[in-house]
Order: sequence, then C-alpha cells, then structure tokens
Amino acid sequence: MPLPRPPSPWIATGLLVPLLTMASPGWLKLAGVSPSWSVLWLLPWSLQTGPAEGALAGAALGLLLDGLLPGPVSPLPALVLLGWWWGRRGRRPPPIERSFNLGLVALLGTLAMDLSLMLQWALLQGPVALRAVPDPAQLPRAGWTLTDLSHAGLHVLLARALLTGLLAPVLCSLQLLFWRRRLPDGWRT
Amino acid sequence: MPSGRWLRLGALRSLTQLWPWLVLLLALVGVRLSKGAPVADLYALVSYPFWPGTAQREWLRSAQRLDDRVRLQQLETDNQRLRDLLELKQRNPERVAAPVIGRDAAGWWQTLRLGRGSLQGLRQGQAVLAPGGLIGRITAVTPATATVTLLTDPASRVGVWVDRVSAHGLLTGTGSGRPELRFVEKDPHVRAGDVVVTSPASTLVPPNLPVGVVQRVNESADPAPVAVVQLIAPVEAVDWVQVLVR
Repeated sequence: MPLPRPPSPWIATGLLVPLLTMASPGWLKLAGVSPSWSVLWLLPWSLQTGPAEGALAGAALGLLLDGLLPGPVSPLPALVLLGWWWGRRGRRPPPIERSFNLGLVALLGTLAMDLSLMLQWALLQGPVALRAVPDPAQLPRAGWTLTDLSHAGLHVLLARALLTGLLAPVLCSLQLLFWRRRLPDGWRT
Repeated sequence: MPSGRWLRLGALRSLTQLWPWLVLLLALVGVRLSKGAPVADLYALVSYPFWPGTAQREWLRSAQRLDDRVRLQQLETDNQRLRDLLELKQRNPERVAAPVIGRDAAGWWQTLRLGRGSLQGLRQGQAVLAPGGLIGRITAVTPATATVTLLTDPASRVGVWVDRVSAHGLLTGTGSGRPELRFVEKDPHVRAGDVVVTSPASTLVPPNLPVGVVQRVNESADPAPVAVVQLIAPVEAVDWVQVLVR
C-alpha cells in the first residue's frame, strides 16, 4: 500500500462542512431534513486523492463533527470507511463523474452513514425501548429508542439519502473538476 | 545488515511523510475534546451578519398570547399553593436573551445553536424558553455559542405534570415534532386539550413553565397511559429565545 501523501492545504475546505451543518440553509431542505454535507464534500475529495488520503480525511471530518454533535453516537467510523471505499472507487477505469453514478454513490453513502448511526443508537438503547416507562436509572442516557428509529428515524434516513443523492451530481461534479486542477492525482501515480 | 537498515529507513521515511496528517489529526482530537468550541465560535463569527432580526416577531405574537394566558392561570394556582407553603423559597432566575443562529430540528440531532455562550453566563443544564414556553435545555456551551437540546430530541426527558388533574408524567422526545408524555399513574383522567407544565418536583428545570397541550391520549398503553403533546412554542419559527440563568 502506498503511504498517504501530506495533506494539501485545500483540505481546509473541509471546514465548510461543520459550518454548513450548523447553518443548514432552509431552502436546501427536504421535509425539514438537511442533506449530508459530509458526504457531499468527502465523495469528490476521496475520489480524487485515493483510499489512504480519503480515509484520513474521513477521520478528520468525523472528529470535527463529533465535537459539535451531542449524544453518544459518532459518524466517524462510517466516514473513514466511506473515504476508503470512494478512494478505491476512483481508481476504477470507467470515469465516475460523467454520469449520474455520483448521485447513486452519494445516496448509498448517506444510507450507510445514517444506518451506522441508527445501529449505534439501537445497540445503545435496545433494552430501554422494551419498557413502556423507562427505568429512572436509564433516564440520563441519550438517544433514539427502537420505536423512534422505526417511525421518525426512517423518515430522516430517507429524506437525507434522497436529498443528498439529488444534490450530488451537481455539487460533486463541480468539486471534482475543481480538485482535478489543484490536487495531486491519487490513482494515476 | 542491509535489511535492518532498510527497515529503519522505511520507518523514518513514513514518519517524515505522515507527520502533517498526524499533526492534523492531533489538532482535531483537540477540537473533539473541547466539544468543537473553535469551530462553533468560528461559525458564530462568520454568520454574525445573518443573525435574526426582529421581523418574525409578528408571527410569534399569537404563541406569546397563549403563553401569557397559560402562565397567568398557572401563576394563580401556584400562588395559592405557595400561600400554603410559606417556607418555600422564592426563586427569580435572571433571563438572558439569545438569538438562534443555527438549527437542526428535524434531523438526527434536534438542536438549536444560540449566539450567546459562557461569556454571557450560560451554563450546561439551564432551561431555554421561547414565546410559548419551555423548548429545551442547554447541553453544551462554548465561549460564544451554546447548543440547546430540544424537548423533541429523543435524548430529552423532562418531568412534567398536568395541572388540572395533578398528574405527574415524563415528557420524552420521539425525534418527531411531538413529544410523548408517559404518565406514572394508571388512571390519570387526562383529556385532549389539557395544558402540560413542568413539574413542581423537577430538579432539571424550573417549576411551572408552560410546555404544551395534550393532543390525544392512548388509554390502552401498557403499563400506564401515554399522551401525545403539541409544544406551544413554534420551534421551527423561533428566532430569539430566553435562557434562565441562575
């Protein structure tokens, strides 16, 4: 495996992700749910730079978001895996940016990330959901119960995945063109 | 030995090549440990020109009127109760007005971000009020911002009671717009339309703040009835909130 190169200063654009997450512009929402900005940034970055840098950028982004979000769950593991996967995907011969593949890949990535969050919540909260009145000892524990995940959680999951998939062909191909001129190529070296 | 030298050289080379990543990840671990304070403060600085003005005030006025009516009713009964318990200490928490500078009220984290932080005296655990009553509690503060976990967040659990029948319950967020009220008693005689206020016994929030109105009651829930509560405060529209600072 080739060693990851030092990060380009352009990785600072990743700082836009938490800022956009906090701002969550109202006109870019579907049923009140904002798109997954981390997926929209990480996808073109790791497609261009390759698996090792993609995974490291995913870890950096995960740490950044983890500090801002309350609760015991973290998007970090999913982002590392997605960065790795997309970095490998960028090496395949058919150029991904020429089609609507980008939308599909972003949709799958958002689904994977949100499912990982749901899984963490289900593992943390599984026993609590079985009781109608929660045990007082469990009250300080934060998170979604299984019933919440199957009702409101499914709505959030679908809305986020659809919206991210719709935005990705536009936003990600623009970013890919931008990165192609400025970043070292991860898969031709 | 050539192989040993190769190994050492390789390790050195990987270290010189990896150090910027290590520095970056270490810096971000620092950000993570400070609960994202630098990023949140940077966001507050960048978004300052877009902080809400006073234009939405008209929209919120009807909620404010309902709030006033409920509060008046509540204060009357509360006054009556306090006359009986003269030794009870009167608390008058100070209020700090804070603009809402970011919200994620329908995603995985049902939070608001406020443009006031620990520099203005906000602390973790303080109650947050909007026109219409209690909307949540502060869960994290940075010097210039604060994160409010809304009552609709599944992590939020607040002791409330229905004043008309004096029934205690636990208000639990469900992730959707309307929290659930789980009663402690088997037969609380609660009807749709009853006003829900914070519990006089709660240690997390100040007592007798209006919270919501019961929309429907599921009497057959086991082991105790469960009610769906509509919050009085319009969480999606609120642009300024008040934080009860002790």
